[in-house]
Amino acid sequence: MTRYSRVFLSCVYWGFVLYIFVPLILMILMGFKDSKFIGFPIRSWTLDWYLGIFEDTEVLYVFGYSAVIAAFSTIVAVIVGTWIAVLLSNRGFFGRAVIFGLTILPALVPGVISAIAFRIYARFLGIEPGMFAIIWAHAVHNVPFVALIVLARLSTLPKSYAEAARDLGADPLVTFLRVTLPYLMPAILGASIFCLLLSFDDFVRSFFLGGYEPTLPVLIFTKLRSGMSPEVNAIATVALVMTAIIGVWAEQFTRRMNKENK
Amino acid sequence: MTAYSASAPKKPVVNGQTKQGVKDRPFWGRLVCWAPYRALVDVIYASPTRQFIILAAFPVLWVLTQHLGPMLQMAVVSLTDAYPVAPSVETHFTFDNYMKFFGNSIFWMPFFRTLAFGVAMTFCTLLLTYPVAYFLARHVTRKNQLLFLLILLIPFWVGEIVRTYAIMILLGNNGAINLMLQSIGLIERPIPFMYTGFSVGVGIVYLTALYMLLPLYSALEKLPPSFNEAAADLGAGAWTRFRRVTLPLTLEGISSGCTLVFLISTGFYATPVLLGGPSTTTFAETIAGFFHVAGDQWPTGAAFATIMFLTALIMAGAFQKFISSLRKGDVN
Repeated sequence: MTRYSRVFLSCVYWGFVLYIFVPLILMILMGFKDSKFIGFPIRSWTLDWYLGIFEDTEVLYVFGYSAVIAAFSTIVAVIVGTWIAVLLSNRGFFGRAVIFGLTILPALVPGVISAIAFRIYARFLGIEPGMFAIIWAHAVHNVPFVALIVLARLSTLPKSYAEAARDLGADPLVTFLRVTLPYLMPAILGASIFCLLLSFDDFVRSFFLGGYEPTLPVLIFTKLRSGMSPEVNAIATVALVMTAIIGVWAEQFTRRMNKENK
Repeated sequence: MTAYSASAPKKPVVNGQTKQGVKDRPFWGRLVCWAPYRALVDVIYASPTRQFIILAAFPVLWVLTQHLGPMLQMAVVSLTDAYPVAPSVETHFTFDNYMKFFGNSIFWMPFFRTLAFGVAMTFCTLLLTYPVAYFLARHVTRKNQLLFLLILLIPFWVGEIVRTYAIMILLGNNGAINLMLQSIGLIERPIPFMYTGFSVGVGIVYLTALYMLLPLYSALEKLPPSFNEAAADLGAGAWTRFRRVTLPLTLEGISSGCTLVFLISTGFYATPVLLGGPSTTTFAETIAGFFHVAGDQWPTGAAFATIMFLTALIMAGAFQKFISSLRKGDVN
């Protein structure tokens, strides 16, 4: 019985792996197809679609534009998220549960609704759709993730560290900057990589707050609506490889951090 | 090397210790000695309450204006008769936007379709990922677990649009599945998978599977194998062990995974647009439509978004209540 269930379960696992990977691999392969039509079989291969990206200034511009948005929104999200985490690490103050609930609220709101709420709020505050609006929406959306990651790390910080610093004459600000912040650094770095990827891949918020300049996912979306082509495959593949490399690196980074922590 | 060596810079020696000048101190040392900073610190840290208020002011202001503000503003706009308007125009409060929802099946059909679809997709994802999580937690050695999990995490980082596009290539008329079935000889003409509920379902399961897998995996991993062994010693068969031991003790993981997947799947916009057809219009598409046409539709869109948000939250809460009630029933 156990042996059969083991075989069955491993089949399900590898089937799941196939389900996760095959579509992406097919998409990457399609980018090498020497024909404008998407579909199998692939008879001859070419690199033209990839080389075309480097000649297309619009695509290059959009890559840079998305990267700048990701960088700025990450900086804001990390500062605010860490600050909220430090506040929440104080146990048992009045209204902590409410602040905690409000902190994770943006992570619970379904994508379209949060994008629309931001669209209305931006209009209310007089912010035009565009780069600033996207950075702002991404930053607000990413704050809960930073706060939760940093809070988890903060809960492992021994109380004696701060007490020792105080005994040595450090005031709370210096204690934070010299003791707490270095201790939190691995979590903060992990959270910022997470934020970078979330922002770089985000579609809904960029779509509703973007104005006329598209970010990378919005560009792929608009190109897709006018028809599939190997060019889109090449752009999507480059985006995929970039995010996958950063993601895997981040994953190993957090693992190493957790090991050091133990 | 002694303190008196010729190469070392000479410093005044007091009580046998080298006295550092302020200039030689590191940045922090200088900051702490700086008079304006000292004055500031004395003011801020005079009382713990004042210190706490200064710490709390910014985060509280942020969550109120940035996290709660947009939702409240959306609710307010949903109750007005026109938005955005010129400052001189007067607006009135009205429930008309909410009434519109019930008036036309074009509006409420996608709503109920989205909810039913969300529940169905959540269930499918649960059925698909539970064995995977079980396999990872139980049948893989601890050293391999990280590797096997990391393999699954790689596509998790890839964005929504790119993964949706990958599904389009898989399911298209000239796609991989149709080509495979044709070459085997099972079918003669390609099956139109695309632009149906099926393709949207495959896409949504594809995008949300890992949000289900991770909570399930951590719940299963925490469960000690000795529980199962004890049940086996007491004569429970494999199915009974699963039903009476494993399942009840992983209900927490199931509930958080289901809540996450349900909330995420109701919020998808691009996936149903790209993979679906006219018969699979979701409520997200309906809502988005109000923001692409003339400006006076915004209040209606806001009202619909509010309906969607409240329903999703209530359903997610009901999910968790239901699952925790299952758990209580099992303990008794």
